[in-house]
Amino acid sequence: MIHVQALSKTYETPAGAFPALRNIDLDIAAGEFVAIVGKSGSGKSTLLNMVGGIDRPSSGTLRVGGRRIQGLTHSELASWRGRTVGFVFQFFQLLPTLTVAENVMLPMDFCGVRPRSERRKHAMSLLDRVGVADQADKLPSALSGGQQQRVAIARALANDPPVILADEPTGNLDSETSIAIFRLFGELSEEGKTLLVVTHDREAAASVSRTVTIVDGCVA
Amino acid sequence: MIAPRWRKVFRDIADTPLRTALAVTAMAAGAFGVTMILTSYSVLKRELKTTYSDTRPASAILVLDGLASDALVESVRQMPGVRDAELRPVIGGRLFIGNGQWVPLILFVVRDFRDIRLDRFTPDAGAWPPGDGEVLIERSSLSVARAAIGDRVIVRTSDHVERPLRIAGTVHAAGLAPGWMEHAVAGFVKSNPQMTQRNTDKGNLADQIRILVTGDTLDESHIREVANRVARSIGHVTRIEVPTPGRHPHAAQMDTFLYLLGAFGVLTFALSAVLVATMIHALLTEQLRQVGVMKTLGASTTQIASLYLGQVAILAAAAIAIGVPLGIAAGQAYAHFAASMLNATITNAMPALWIVLAEVAAGISIPLLVALGPVAHAARISIHEAFSNDVGGKPFGTRRFDRWLARIQWMPRPLMLSLRTTFHRRGRLILTVATLAAGGAAFIAAMNVSATWTRTLDADGRARRFDIQAVFARPYPAAQVMQALASVPDVVHAECWTEAGAMLGDANVSLVGPDVDSKLLALPLIAGRWLRPDDDAVAVINQSVLSLDPTLHLGGDIPLHINGRIVRLSIVGIVKELAPRATVYAPPRAILRATGKPPDLARSVRIVTRQRNISGQVAASKAIEQALENAGISVAGIQALSDSRKSFSDHLVIIKSALIFAALLVVLVGGLGLTSTLTLNVFERTREIGILSAIGATPGTIARDVVVEGMVMAVLSWCAALLVSIPITFALDAATGQMFIRSALDFYMSPIAAAVWLLLVLILAALSSFYPARRSARLAVREAIAYE
Repeated sequence: MIHVQALSKTYETPAGAFPALRNIDLDIAAGEFVAIVGKSGSGKSTLLNMVGGIDRPSSGTLRVGGRRIQGLTHSELASWRGRTVGFVFQFFQLLPTLTVAENVMLPMDFCGVRPRSERRKHAMSLLDRVGVADQADKLPSALSGGQQQRVAIARALANDPPVILADEPTGNLDSETSIAIFRLFGELSEEGKTLLVVTHDREAAASVSRTVTIVDGCVA
Repeated sequence: MIAPRWRKVFRDIADTPLRTALAVTAMAAGAFGVTMILTSYSVLKRELKTTYSDTRPASAILVLDGLASDALVESVRQMPGVRDAELRPVIGGRLFIGNGQWVPLILFVVRDFRDIRLDRFTPDAGAWPPGDGEVLIERSSLSVARAAIGDRVIVRTSDHVERPLRIAGTVHAAGLAPGWMEHAVAGFVKSNPQMTQRNTDKGNLADQIRILVTGDTLDESHIREVANRVARSIGHVTRIEVPTPGRHPHAAQMDTFLYLLGAFGVLTFALSAVLVATMIHALLTEQLRQVGVMKTLGASTTQIASLYLGQVAILAAAAIAIGVPLGIAAGQAYAHFAASMLNATITNAMPALWIVLAEVAAGISIPLLVALGPVAHAARISIHEAFSNDVGGKPFGTRRFDRWLARIQWMPRPLMLSLRTTFHRRGRLILTVATLAAGGAAFIAAMNVSATWTRTLDADGRARRFDIQAVFARPYPAAQVMQALASVPDVVHAECWTEAGAMLGDANVSLVGPDVDSKLLALPLIAGRWLRPDDDAVAVINQSVLSLDPTLHLGGDIPLHINGRIVRLSIVGIVKELAPRATVYAPPRAILRATGKPPDLARSVRIVTRQRNISGQVAASKAIEQALENAGISVAGIQALSDSRKSFSDHLVIIKSALIFAALLVVLVGGLGLTSTLTLNVFERTREIGILSAIGATPGTIARDVVVEGMVMAVLSWCAALLVSIPITFALDAATGQMFIRSALDFYMSPIAAAVWLLLVLILAALSSFYPARRSARLAVREAIAYE
């Protein structure tokens, strides 16, 4: 599902060129649940951003779902991302002025994947799936961190993407909630989603099918 | 059902009421300013034109050497080329206003108040028509007469006969200059054979036939051709006057005024456009992280751009809904005020429909146009950039200026942080400074031009070093005049001058002969030199003469028609005067020779008195007039210089009102813009403020540093405003001077204007930074850091 070959990324900074990723090779099959671990600054998030098309590699090849994503234009990338990848962030990143249900409907709206009339029903079923259906018409600020992250996961699932990318999804949550979130990820993986999760949380990461460790921009 | 992304737009607008209010206020202020100026400009331009043309202004006035019969006027009406004619003699005189003081009076003798054909006037208040022994006063000169309807006033016509007249009412003569500005009273009386006859016998009154030509009433040569033909066929015409066709007597003032309104309209427009750009920049900076989130959810660049353009359009529509109606109302109020200053009446204060439509169209399209760039930038931003903290700029330290700033170590650290932040967010800095500078430049320019006019007035006053001038009904020997004045203790110094009327081509010019050794006139020279005691057939002309005939030049001759003869004087100098009247200065003997009079005759006298204050000068002029009259010298008019200076300055009132109006408007629009811009700047920094609080900064420290940042921007904008105001001031000085006194004004930058704006901008900056900063500082640290 995810094919990374000789991938490198170098940032130009005032202090000089900084190689964030060096020559990464990585293959992840469909339905795998992979944790990327490593110290701060090792390049975990950079790798995740590359896979999600948020950042572009300096060199190497990157295929997701069989598609080579380097050559895509901005708008092609946007619509590809909306259909193929669901993102979950450490700080949830729900839009503060939209209700929970509307946040979940937003990706469908952008990508036009479902008939308009079915979008709310689908959003409700996703919220039900992650256990926060009763919060659907509240604003994000009224929810706890764990609830917000569940909404973010529901939003990531909105367009039924084959790949879910999560960057420190439990970094801002207590351990009990963290375990619950990882349990949810495990269920998604069993349903056939490919999950790539950047995490520090060793305990929670115990439930993954594979762990990839990044050290100084290289796969250890 | 509305798509969630559009719901986000509405919710963003509704959920951040303060931000929305600030943005809408700033944009509405811009719309208000532009609408107000456009409205008053268009209403005044239309109404001033129609008010004047509705009076049916006479094309030409034929001055006869005796009385004309109604039959003669009827025959003139039938002449080819003449559409209409009316007999309306004019008597010059003075009106007694108490305390021994007189003001100039011009009396129009009307044959039939029910059949006014030309130079029309309309009843304003009181009776109509006036009976015998009654007068109707032009409404704008009632205050000059210091009288009310029903009062009895004493009128002295130039034959020195005094008679009481009862003020029966007031009229509005839109074709006359406002009396309060001219410091003269205009009155209308019924034709009275007895008075007419006596005045005619004494040579005080000449009948005047006013004609309106057929064909092109704006073609001066056509008018002259018709008038000359009529004059030849009726005979006894001593003079033909052709007022500039289609031009109100105060047209130059109106032009200057409307030009200023227009110029400040453009400046306000520029200001509001920058303001809108700043607002949009602030709104988008807020939203960058959300743009990043939406992009990860699959939003395309076009979708994001349309969301934000939609948001801008909604805000702009709200701004128009507020700003345009208020602007129209204020513009109408100002138009009414300005019209009253020009003795005009506004009958229809509605701005043209196209003005309203253009304003609405511009109010929507300009914000959208201005937003296109920043929206495109925000929509195209990469997700990576959107999520990083340093958005849209190079990291601090990559620019040379940043490194220079970073080397400054002696300042307190929080202050250094303020300065570095100010200069780091360059886009925001430039926009904020540009908004403030546009407002500042307009304000400073308005104040500068106003100060320049005051200085011009003062300089002209200083050039005339006498206190009182008296003009005689006819020439008298200078020795007789000086002897009469010797008995007045208040007179320190007196000079006898000669004056005469002359024609330059078709235009009237005044010929003035100051005493050969005159110490009382020191007009600023544009070129050449002033008159010398040994001069003979030479002349010094003022800039108004030059504008009548631009071919005149130093060393050349000026051909003057005096009493039917052509007299050539050699031009030795050109001076600049405030009065727009065309004046030729020549040695008295040259003037007396040209008018065929013996030398040593005086037509007027200029006097320096011991009295410095106004009441003292009033008393002195009473004593002087009495002494002259006792010596058998008939005084046609006597005026204190302070009074004529007041009249000059009253002519500038309307121009100054436009400038003050513009300055106030700019303060309002710029002030609102400044406040909202700086407030939004602080909102943008909520996260940074949270971090500062986290590391121990107190709300007080934070507020102080944010205020410093606002002050730095204010001072920078002030410098920019000063620079930008230079060319604007220069252009306005040149244009208004050229229009009004036919010569560019001397460029002057008012230190007061600069200081006032600095003070204003600093106060506004402090206020509009302090409150939002304190609010931000009081947010809990966690809240501030989580604030996205």
